[in-house]
Amino acid sequence: MKENDRFSMPDCFNLASKPSLFCPGCGQSMFLKHLGSVIDQQKIIDKITLAIDIGCSLLAWNYFDFDIIQTHHGRVVPTAVGYKMAREKRIIIAIMGDGGGYAIGLQSLLHAAFRNNPITTFVMNNTEYSMTGGQMAPTTMSKELTTTSPEGKEEKLFGGAFLGPELVRQAANSDAYIARASVSNPVILETIIKKAILAQTTGNFAFVEVLTICPTNWKTDVAGSFEFLGKMEKIYPVGEIIKNGRTKNK
Amino acid sequence: MAEQKINKIVFAGEGGQGIQVLSKVLSTTLAVAGYDVSYIPQFGPEQRGAPSVAFVQYSNGKIFYPKFSKADILIVLRKRAIKAIESFIGPETTIIFDSSTIPRNLIKQKGPKVFGLPATKLAKENFKPKALNIIVLGVLAGKFFNLGKQIIWSGIEKQLGTKFAKSAELRKVSKEAMEYGFDFSLENKKFSPPIFDTHGSIIVEKGWGKTAVIIPKFCKGCGICILKCPVSALKFGKTLGVYGTSSPDIDLEKCIACDNCFQFCPDSAIRVEKNS
Repeated sequence: MKENDRFSMPDCFNLASKPSLFCPGCGQSMFLKHLGSVIDQQKIIDKITLAIDIGCSLLAWNYFDFDIIQTHHGRVVPTAVGYKMAREKRIIIAIMGDGGGYAIGLQSLLHAAFRNNPITTFVMNNTEYSMTGGQMAPTTMSKELTTTSPEGKEEKLFGGAFLGPELVRQAANSDAYIARASVSNPVILETIIKKAILAQTTGNFAFVEVLTICPTNWKTDVAGSFEFLGKMEKIYPVGEIIKNGRTKNK
Repeated sequence: MAEQKINKIVFAGEGGQGIQVLSKVLSTTLAVAGYDVSYIPQFGPEQRGAPSVAFVQYSNGKIFYPKFSKADILIVLRKRAIKAIESFIGPETTIIFDSSTIPRNLIKQKGPKVFGLPATKLAKENFKPKALNIIVLGVLAGKFFNLGKQIIWSGIEKQLGTKFAKSAELRKVSKEAMEYGFDFSLENKKFSPPIFDTHGSIIVEKGWGKTAVIIPKFCKGCGICILKCPVSALKFGKTLGVYGTSSPDIDLEKCIACDNCFQFCPDSAIRVEKNS
């Protein structure tokens, strides 16, 4: 391989947009790199379209060399569903943050899972709303400090950590692929991304929550960020969420 | 009453450098000193890295409109911010640029009104890198705004008081940085070399049957590769990445080409491959 600017990045990246707009040490750009390598490995760059939400996820608007749709806040899932209906042969990937997925856009997500629409969705979970400066989100863990919970999240008032994939599993069709991954293990992350894209090509809904790091808003150094991620992994167990007993909708 | 004079100032740098804190301190201090002040920040949705610009006006009369087209004083502290503020440079504009990160030839303005201030160098060598904005504030206060040491320091304390309450050392360093800047004389004819400029190309190292590629222009200095290296073959080096932070140096003798740095790097700035 030739030693040039592209030496350490997937072929589907848009070189002109690098260095990207993400903060130093951002977990989401780590996830996007693995998504890029999976797209390269599967050779699906001609078929893929990305849909992005409001929040830090929108900083990916020129990250790749394929088409990207920017949607309204929380409406990335219905837009992806509509896109897939119109263009069945394309592969659509929707990326949103925990605000778009679990707060404003939760009903869209649940119903897409319930209908088993063949789309692939990823939610970036960094336990807070990062673009606006680290406010409390549904995914904020109990006692965690954020700018709107300066004394720690009060579980009595705001609830504990929001287990998204477990909830989606309850509503989803039994064929849907639901999992949680973490950027702390790139190999497992890439395997889960591969399976999520495969689920869409076989006509099923796929939903993956990705635990990411946010050094800027957690105000941690590099070792502290991965320590925090380790704490998150204890509360948010990583792995595939197994199928429930629901019968198939035929 | 004397004739009204509106002084227009533009601060430009990179998000995270402390441009907005600097402008806020200066605006509040000028307001306390009895001027009419307007301050408009401008930055993108990104929290780090994108150009961060502040427009400040102060006057002995009333200010009715916060926008302006040409600045009287323009301070630019990072190469990538120059593009965002080029249109504010007029023939009468006094320009102060960070001569330790910006080569002089990038500033189009000619003549005696261009001043160099090696702020990044001063902050890194004498204090902490984060002291940059306090040094700049100290330099500007006396020379351009007729504010005394005491007045500007009380402005800094007002803005950063809660942070100072947590750490006495931070307070001490900030005060020293401010006083150092206050007594610093600006470069006018002879400028410091831009030794803290970002490394522009890629670094290729070969040896021990491996090829390592490090791309400083993509590296943001997060240090994840160094943390994840199982054999401590990586450490922060002298080459500077895109945000003016150190990018890693590799010791190929120790390296086992495990691919961890490549897998974890968020910005695709490093990769080691075994020669086949």
